[in-house]
Amino acid sequence: MGGAMIIEVAQQIFNGIVIGSVYVLIALGLTVIFGIFGIAHFAHGSVAMFGGYLTFYLTQRFGLSLFPGMAIAMPIGALLGILIERLAYRPVRDDPHINAFIIALGLTMLIEGADLLLFGADQVVIPSSYRSVINIAGLAMVELRIYVVLTTCALIAAMTVLLSSTRTGKAVRAVAQNRSAAILMGVDVEWVSMVVFAISSALGIAAGALIGALFAVAPGVGEGLVVKGFAVLILGGLGSIPGAIVGGIVLGVSETLAAGFISSAYKDGIAFLVMILVLLFRPEGLLGKR
Amino acid sequence: MKRFESRLYLGIVAMVAVLTFGIGAIAAEKELAIGVSDALTGPGATYGLPQSNAVQLAVEEINAKGGVKVGKDSYKLRVISYDDKANPTEGTNAVRKLIDRDGVKYILGFCCSGPTSAVASFIGREDVVMLVGNAAERAITAQGNPNLFRTRPPADYTGSAAGTFVAQRGAKKLAVVGSLDVSFYRQYIEAFEREFEKGGGKIIAKESYSATDRDMTPQLTKVRALNPDALLVTGYVEPSSFVYRQAFDLGMKMPRYGFTSGSEEMFLKVATSEQMEGIWDLRPTELTVEALGPVGKAFLANYTKKFNIPPAPSAPYAYDQVYVLKHALENAGTVDDTKKVAAEIRKLAVPPEAVMKYIPIDKKMFDENGQAYTSNGAFQWKNNKWTYVSDLPSDPMIYSKFLRSLRK
Repeated sequence: MGGAMIIEVAQQIFNGIVIGSVYVLIALGLTVIFGIFGIAHFAHGSVAMFGGYLTFYLTQRFGLSLFPGMAIAMPIGALLGILIERLAYRPVRDDPHINAFIIALGLTMLIEGADLLLFGADQVVIPSSYRSVINIAGLAMVELRIYVVLTTCALIAAMTVLLSSTRTGKAVRAVAQNRSAAILMGVDVEWVSMVVFAISSALGIAAGALIGALFAVAPGVGEGLVVKGFAVLILGGLGSIPGAIVGGIVLGVSETLAAGFISSAYKDGIAFLVMILVLLFRPEGLLGKR
Repeated sequence: MKRFESRLYLGIVAMVAVLTFGIGAIAAEKELAIGVSDALTGPGATYGLPQSNAVQLAVEEINAKGGVKVGKDSYKLRVISYDDKANPTEGTNAVRKLIDRDGVKYILGFCCSGPTSAVASFIGREDVVMLVGNAAERAITAQGNPNLFRTRPPADYTGSAAGTFVAQRGAKKLAVVGSLDVSFYRQYIEAFEREFEKGGGKIIAKESYSATDRDMTPQLTKVRALNPDALLVTGYVEPSSFVYRQAFDLGMKMPRYGFTSGSEEMFLKVATSEQMEGIWDLRPTELTVEALGPVGKAFLANYTKKFNIPPAPSAPYAYDQVYVLKHALENAGTVDDTKKVAAEIRKLAVPPEAVMKYIPIDKKMFDENGQAYTSNGAFQWKNNKWTYVSDLPSDPMIYSKFLRSLRK
């Protein structure tokens, strides 16, 4: 009985780490923008869905497999991020935050409408050949799910290297710490702005592609994802990259353990419960600064 | 002479004009607008779009043969379609538009129980006839609206037959993973459980997922730990196909039974044939080649040719609605008196053009509740396709009386 319980817990934790990895990618895209510009980029979920649809199109049209398709979709997503920054958010940069919020909502509808026109209303599943299952004493790990976790780790590592070891990354950190001082030090804030949106959208595209391979891309899925993303932001700490990583995994594992040991009806409600508890008792988040 | 000639020519031109337009007026074809309210987008579209397509196909067939002959007139059918998005508010709005703005008296489609139940709650007060297709919620016909008819049997009629079948196959501990927030799936499971327990079985778990869920690994992991000897999956085909795929990945190879009514194409978008192999679907004996006669085979061929995709199992419910309406209008001799048309539907035998194999009640297609019945069948996935294996033990006469007893 004890052994069976351990296997069940281990399986749920593995399930949670997989879905948590996707939440991490979504949350990272949200937190870099919120941390630096204070913009709640609600359209990020729709951008992720666009990434899923785009990756599906690339795999079908050019016969690519999942990861090469995703690798091509990500730079396209980065360009989309730059366009979003230039055309949607930059004009309202110095206005009250509510303007950016309204822009975000409008962008959500625009991108979802474009997805519907371009790709239709049916769900799409990105085919992948990573179907084998590794079974260790009853713990079943599908190959694709392992790759999702590894891909997330690789993207986190790439982003860390970019931000800590490159000139561009230094500029981004300078703007994040003190925008006015960064301007005085000669940092091109416009350029940093575009880079941040490019990184955010590329991560969102990756999340959408992985969701499309693990599950499916369909109208309405993006909204649920962005809500989970904001729950992770609040849990981990607004603007905190380590917080987004820890928060994503904690949320994913909480959901699966709640579904497994309390009730499946609570799986999606956990995100809202987490948001409420964190806001009540530790509003700066697990790793946020007071 | 010149004046006489010019008057003669004028007279000839006038006569030709009168004959042309006069004869045209006498022979002018009449048109009857019929409405379709169905899920054309969103999670219900896998059921609603095939229904809408099937209505279009039937209408084109009828119009090509001269339309509906009502008395001395012939009516070509024209379809006005609205998307109810499987949502009760959208469904109500769609039907209100059809009735109030478009002046439609005959409304078909209705794949999904949410919007259909909402409409059924007020349609009894309207001067229309409503023909329901795939929507399986029992209350839709249990209410006894005199102007509402349904071609698809309610979910619990199939559920009780399925429970008996699974018990006969020797299952003792069964776990359910289903859309428990949807009432007709709950009704299927309740009826299933009653008969399954009579056969000596027990349901040891009921885990839920919603129409938009795609990750059911937490629910399946919990169920796996309970070691059931059978699994029952009840839900819309899109999330259910993920249940089958993820159950296979978790090593759950016990007999898996379902109530999902999806076509092979729908499942293969998500799961591989290996992952589907051996799975059962316990449902009305819907569109499947082995159960079809020549009418059904012709429908399959014509639908596939027109829409470049085979019809989904929900499609014939709507196709048959059109022919029911055609015969009722012709028998009633009126397109305006909906009470008379509804009375004719009540008396109607199964139309010869019907694709589904209906079981008549007292030689009529619909019982006193406005409900039609098909047989229930056990289908198993073998080598890339659903294969009809056997009928499920079901009795529409007993169910019809039970449905009548529910009316307040």
